[in-house]
Amino acid sequence: MKTNPNFTDHDAFYEQLLAAHEGLNEAQSAQLNARLILLLANQIGEQAVLAECVMAARAPFVASSPRQS
Amino acid sequence: MNAPMQTVGYQLPVYPFELPPELREPGAARPRYPVVIIGAGLCGLTAACDLAARGVRAVVLDDDDTIGVRGASSRGIVYAQKTLEIMDRLGLYDQVRGKGVTWSVGKTLAGNDVVYEFDASAQSASRQPPFINLQQFYLEWFLVDRITEIGATDLRWKNKVVDYEQFADHARVVVETPAGNYSLEADWVLDCSGVASLVRDTLKLDTHPARGIDRWCISDVRFKAPLPIERWTWVEAPFNDNRAVWQHLMADDVWRLDFQMDPDCDPEHVSRLDVAAERVRRQVGENVEFELVWVGPYSYRSQLLDQFRVGRTFFLGDSAHVMSPFGARGGNSGIQDADNLGWKLALVLAGEAPEGLLDTYHAERYPAAQFNIMTTRRTSRFLSPESPQEKVFRDAAISLAREYSFARNLVNTGRLSTAYTYAGSPLCGAAAGVTLAPGAAVQNAPITLPDGKAGALADLFRHASAFVGVWLGTPSIAAAEVIRWANQSAPRLRLVQMGQANLGLSRIADREGRLAKALGWDGVTPVFVLMRPDMHLAAALPDPGLAQLKRAYARARGIAL
Repeated sequence: MKTNPNFTDHDAFYEQLLAAHEGLNEAQSAQLNARLILLLANQIGEQAVLAECVMAARAPFVASSPRQS
Repeated sequence: MNAPMQTVGYQLPVYPFELPPELREPGAARPRYPVVIIGAGLCGLTAACDLAARGVRAVVLDDDDTIGVRGASSRGIVYAQKTLEIMDRLGLYDQVRGKGVTWSVGKTLAGNDVVYEFDASAQSASRQPPFINLQQFYLEWFLVDRITEIGATDLRWKNKVVDYEQFADHARVVVETPAGNYSLEADWVLDCSGVASLVRDTLKLDTHPARGIDRWCISDVRFKAPLPIERWTWVEAPFNDNRAVWQHLMADDVWRLDFQMDPDCDPEHVSRLDVAAERVRRQVGENVEFELVWVGPYSYRSQLLDQFRVGRTFFLGDSAHVMSPFGARGGNSGIQDADNLGWKLALVLAGEAPEGLLDTYHAERYPAAQFNIMTTRRTSRFLSPESPQEKVFRDAAISLAREYSFARNLVNTGRLSTAYTYAGSPLCGAAAGVTLAPGAAVQNAPITLPDGKAGALADLFRHASAFVGVWLGTPSIAAAEVIRWANQSAPRLRLVQMGQANLGLSRIADREGRLAKALGWDGVTPVFVLMRPDMHLAAALPDPGLAQLKRAYARARGIAL
């Protein structure tokens, strides 16, 4: 899993992500996010990397679990 | 399943109860039987047939007097390639192909759109197709016929096991019959009695049961319709309130329609014949005449024993492991259990392998069962999302699948059964010179047999629990050494050569290149390929010497050198 900056244009991505949700209701936003996760996951592809990303995303909600490296 | 059953049109055989020798001459001394098999279902009959083909006489005890479940249920319908190859080796494939429905294309639909499609015939190197659909009782029927033809098995109908006990070197089985009770002793017992195993419960073995909330209702329906012979699965069927539906053809123009129900439904109500007929009517439309053959509700469950061998007892099929039906992994895995154990038991009974070989049955088949349970759970979670968020991801996957091919792989309506690879098995060594992994099943490739006739790999495995060793390419080992080894090891090891090899062995030919495809062989590298009696790859050795060959062959039989 890459944790150092890897974006070619981080501000543009963030802006576009917010803009994509404009005018959507909660259910539509949830759909957009889920579609985006699946699209992005396929760009990565490698299961070991995806597993690290999933665990890192979940980390704040896991009570005192040891950090996976 | 206590469903109302409809038996329109199936004429099933009834096998007579015959007085067993224990009741014919009570009190007479009885030798211990080498093998007793409990249950004449798919698993028990495959085991009996496999053992008979290897010259082992087994006693089979079954509480019923016919095949199928109380003579009516269809149960398993999809027989996958490895099962078909096993039936080829056992000599009943022609009946299966003749009666069943051969198919290879599957489609998954959401609404009216196909979102995923596969054709499993593309990767196949086998003489057998990827799948044949057939009512389970027909396969059992053909097995009984074949077992009777071989004539080495004592099939006892209306013999119900009512008590069980095992000791250090044998087991004792108490049997109830219409003519009274008797008991018998056996060196080894194969419990193939299914999900409600008395043996397992008598031994107090935990199955770690888990139940799902999702409910389904099978409706086997006979009708003629100009539909393609394909497996169609709907994740969201408009004609079933946007719940899942399966549509699949079996023998005798009978379609298996399997409907996902509301989790809160009343199973009694949804399986009433008029309610089932109304559901089918919504699917097939107003103008198709049909008749219900069988209706049965079920829900998901899984079970897994901790040990598949306990003392003198082996557990095969549903008595060892139960999973949801997705991907046809129940029947097919039970048949592979029998395929795995048969040759090992035959070698140990003949005194040609150590008893430890029998423990590799658990070592190889337990991970297969774990894998099957994991795989079917993934499918059931896709089909029956357990939270609103899971539904969000499913909707996303389906919507993406309509546009992009990558997402079609995420749409999971069942991953169909394939032969399990015994990775890390103590019996399997390295495999180099071919891409097939050690422990993987070798597909039943068509070849030209030593007598010049067209055949397939399975034809080399029919006799004497044989391992088969094939030399590919041009080896450097001396022919005299090989011939001496071949003579020493016959008939358990059948050595053949192919292509450029000139070792004085009988010769096979791979005219269509399908054996090379099955093995992943480049057509040049000199390799010796050792296959086990169940047609799994034991080892592949690039241009080995005799010591290496002997080591691999010993290891494959559980013998430490």
